[in-house]
Amino acid sequence: MTLNRIACFLCLLLLPLALPARNVDLATVPERRTVQLTIYNSEDLTLVRESRVVTFKKGVNPLQFSWVNTLIDPTSVELKFREPKTGLVMLDTTFPHDKPQTLYWNVQSDADREAIIEISYFTSGISWAADYLAVADPDEKTLRLESFVRVRNLSGEDYENARVRLVVGTINLVEKIAELAKLPVGRVNELKREDYKDLRQRAARKMMAPAPALEMAAGAVAYDAAEMEAPKEIIKEGLSEYFIYTIEGTETVPNGWAKRLRSFEADTVPMTVEYRYRPREYGDQLTRLYLLKNDVASKLGSTPLPDGVMQIFRTNGSASLSYLATQNLKYVPIGDKIELNLGVDRLVIFELTKQKVYRDNLWFQIKGGNLYRKLGEDGFKLELDSQVAGWDEHTVYRQKIRNYSPKPIHVQIRRDYAGDIGFRSRLNPTLHDFQTVQFEADIPVGEKAALDYEVISRMGYNQKQNRVELQNGEAGR
Amino acid sequence: MNRTRLFYLLGALLVLGAVPLDALARIKLTALPVREWVQIHLDHPQVALIEEERIVPLVKGVNQVDFSWANTRIDPHTLVLRIPAPPGERSLDAKVLSVSYPPNENALVWSVAASASGTARVRISYALDGLSKDFHYRAVADREEKMLELAQYLRVNNHANEAYDLAQFQTGVGVAFDKPLGLNETKEVQINRFANTPVHKTYTSDPMKFGYLDRAQDKLNVPMHYVIKNTGGALGKAALPEGKARIFQDDGQGGSAFLGEDRGKFTPPDDEWELYLGLARDIVVRRTIDRNERQRIAGNLYRYDVTVKYEIENFKDKPATLNIVESVRQIRDQVRGDPGHDPEWQLGDGTLRHPDPEKSDADQLLFHVDLPARPADGPAPKQTQTLRLTLNNEW
Repeated sequence: MTLNRIACFLCLLLLPLALPARNVDLATVPERRTVQLTIYNSEDLTLVRESRVVTFKKGVNPLQFSWVNTLIDPTSVELKFREPKTGLVMLDTTFPHDKPQTLYWNVQSDADREAIIEISYFTSGISWAADYLAVADPDEKTLRLESFVRVRNLSGEDYENARVRLVVGTINLVEKIAELAKLPVGRVNELKREDYKDLRQRAARKMMAPAPALEMAAGAVAYDAAEMEAPKEIIKEGLSEYFIYTIEGTETVPNGWAKRLRSFEADTVPMTVEYRYRPREYGDQLTRLYLLKNDVASKLGSTPLPDGVMQIFRTNGSASLSYLATQNLKYVPIGDKIELNLGVDRLVIFELTKQKVYRDNLWFQIKGGNLYRKLGEDGFKLELDSQVAGWDEHTVYRQKIRNYSPKPIHVQIRRDYAGDIGFRSRLNPTLHDFQTVQFEADIPVGEKAALDYEVISRMGYNQKQNRVELQNGEAGR
Repeated sequence: MNRTRLFYLLGALLVLGAVPLDALARIKLTALPVREWVQIHLDHPQVALIEEERIVPLVKGVNQVDFSWANTRIDPHTLVLRIPAPPGERSLDAKVLSVSYPPNENALVWSVAASASGTARVRISYALDGLSKDFHYRAVADREEKMLELAQYLRVNNHANEAYDLAQFQTGVGVAFDKPLGLNETKEVQINRFANTPVHKTYTSDPMKFGYLDRAQDKLNVPMHYVIKNTGGALGKAALPEGKARIFQDDGQGGSAFLGEDRGKFTPPDDEWELYLGLARDIVVRRTIDRNERQRIAGNLYRYDVTVKYEIENFKDKPATLNIVESVRQIRDQVRGDPGHDPEWQLGDGTLRHPDPEKSDADQLLFHVDLPARPADGPAPKQTQTLRLTLNNEW
């Protein structure tokens, strides 16, 4: 226990109808019995539920709850009576003007009794993030994918033996919890709209199933010396538009610490290697990718993959690792594809050369009027004041690819063209969209490919459309 | 225990059962397993990856393995602990349960479960900043400048604040090698030697790329290059990484003369590695636009007939080959301005009619012109070459 382990504490004041203004108080401090953290990764928000055992006497019992040096949103603090559910009534809540980060509850009890109460509140400063480790086999046919969750506690409070639940998905908040935590309750309304609290709490509590029975005494995760302890399982379940990861057992994450646990691991996940030229997505370079799918056939698919950093390695012949890339993986739904961008492969040379340019189908505007004539039309003499108004610009390209890598490669190329375009080739191209041509090639080890195509741009008066038209034919005339 | 001096400290806390993290933070009894084996991977263009193997004592149950570093720039996100099972060897079963990161420390603590007490061989890998590499070359040409001996060197610069008593270096070029690497040390190793490499000395005139020596007299710069094709023999098996090359020539007296240096670019197999040697002063090339005639096709549409003339003299007592490079676009822009579209052209009946198909395209033309040696008893002959172009459909 260090600096602020008693920062968030609950006191049962031993004075009937205790007045907050008293200068001399005597209090007992019931300890936390259980605690549950539900941490959202899209917002700086954690919902804390803690239970404590409190002894009440018959009549009105004042309870003080304070949270000095923590990041709790005071408007979110709620008190509920778990056991017994009847016989106890919360009469009122008071936020004293002279004690920041403190509140008082007056609880009416119809008998002398021990009760389990539950206090819940929002706090900021606890976050979680996913990260991944992908290790491809030397043949690059399969990879091993490990997913981790990392919980970081900068909330100012230690949470010992906490049941931890992590929410995957985005929620809407009207205010930042960290801002609310700095304000006295009386001034919170000055922030924004009056209904902020309802909106925020509705959004956040929507995720919350009732707190499960929490058997989390220190010995709850008894170590069985007879068997090797296995990594904790992280149970994943869908809820509405969200996924909730529940870490098996309990965790202690002291203030300032972070803890990383394995979320899942999948061996021999099938994958393919593809080289892509897609300037809009990957920049003006041929990019090497690992492609896999988040589905059951790929030994994945039990959960969406939350946003997170992925480290990508490949094992080489001596079981050592070769570093390939670090990538920010964006949320991958179940069944969706996963693309791992490895950057440029310097063993694959990708060059585009312009082989030839010519123009034809030249049209002239006669004397600046509305009359247009094509060059070469019989019977017309084009005078000096006739101006070129339309033409077809033919450009013949050669896409050269050389494969010096130790494996055959598959290359996919997309090129965007604006305007009225004809794309002529024998490359069996397809249209990715109205102005993007896609074609593919396989290049064996040590081989070179020369992919020829001709782009016909209909310019000026000749431009009638804004789209690419595919033509089957030899490039160049 | 002074962590600032033990730059990477791997401590295995021999504590049975789940240990509260607070207990790790203050009072520790640690075993310090030494590095058994280190590999430094420098095959990635930007990232140096270190892999080290240590033998860690574990007790049955849960062990805390503490890894910390100070004054070094390990990327903690890249840290991977693997516990490979050695083939054919019965060893304890061990598995990482979790990783904890203490506040304000360059450290982490692995929670490792072991099936029995004993030792486990663990591999730790991480990306390390401050460890860089570069390549450089030493080329020695023979007297005739037909062959050269090319040596390729790797230089590893260690500013990572960590020393390695013995490490295996994997650079992606040449074979792996074992060397120690001290603090702030630079280690240079010859990784390849290409003997009897054919070299081609070129003389080039390219007004667009190399410009004029004397614009008023229309004299072009004629740079010299050694050109080595990365193919054949020992070459051609891998790309030549970029790096500075120092160029020497056998002086015939058992020594070598320094000719200059250049920065060689990354050169994949089958490509040419060009090393610039300086300007040739004994080959003179004068370039003029000899003819520029415009013919109207129709309306404002024209055809241009352009002739570029080269007057070439070789004052050397050896024959040479001159590469004449032209940009058709530059010629077009010179004779009529830039209309904003690519030139459409045809070669006419000049003396230069056969461009090198491998090195010519829609804009650039390359011609090879043989220059005879200056006769011993007379002046250098002047050779005239013409490039005739028809520029079609210009307006």
